[in-house]
Amino acid sequence: MAKRSDMDHGLLLLIVAILAWIVPGGGHFFIKEKKRAAIIFVTITLTFAVGLYIGSVGVIDPPGAWPWYIGQMLTTPGVSLLANIKQMDPNGEMVGIVSYGNPHDYGQIYTAIAGALNLLAILSAVYMAHSGRGEMIGSEEDE
Amino acid sequence: MNSISIILAGFMSPIDIPTSPASMLWMFPLILSIAIVYKATKLRVIFPKIFIKEVVVLFLTISIFLILAGVGLNILVAFITS
Repeated sequence: MAKRSDMDHGLLLLIVAILAWIVPGGGHFFIKEKKRAAIIFVTITLTFAVGLYIGSVGVIDPPGAWPWYIGQMLTTPGVSLLANIKQMDPNGEMVGIVSYGNPHDYGQIYTAIAGALNLLAILSAVYMAHSGRGEMIGSEEDE
Repeated sequence: MNSISIILAGFMSPIDIPTSPASMLWMFPLILSIAIVYKATKLRVIFPKIFIKEVVVLFLTISIFLILAGVGLNILVAFITS
């Protein structure tokens, strides 16, 4: 296998990082760490979904709780779409979904922790791509 | 209303979590998630049996230390306020 140039290597790491951010586990899948990718995808997606189920979509509140929103955005950029979901109030006007109290707090914690875990997964995927571990283990698994 | 609508409706309104000691149980699924993802990134090769064992050990370790921290803080508060 030809040795990659520094630029190619940097581009590979960037692609792995972006894929890992867009879809949890996507970076590991790209470097052929399929088992790891599946575990990360299922766990982070479930954690985020449980957070939304507990506190509703109202836990994603960029203007009201932007530090939490940063954590939530680490899960996937698709979170920004959820922040724009609105529902019709009794007056027929479209308003943002809100939640309060314990469910709101628990939902925020779950969704932000899902983001923090995805940050860990992004760093892991980039490190594995940098060290060539993913390709090595992936080629062994494929044989 | 079809089943997909019913599932999606579950994400539009929060569930009820009263302020009670039982609400602390919500930390365990989160600890499990943390243990699974951490071990998935940490282990060099994923062998199912070893992976599950490592996850269980980490899950129990975090859980026990959090419970001990909770008990310790409760004792401290009781001592201060008595």
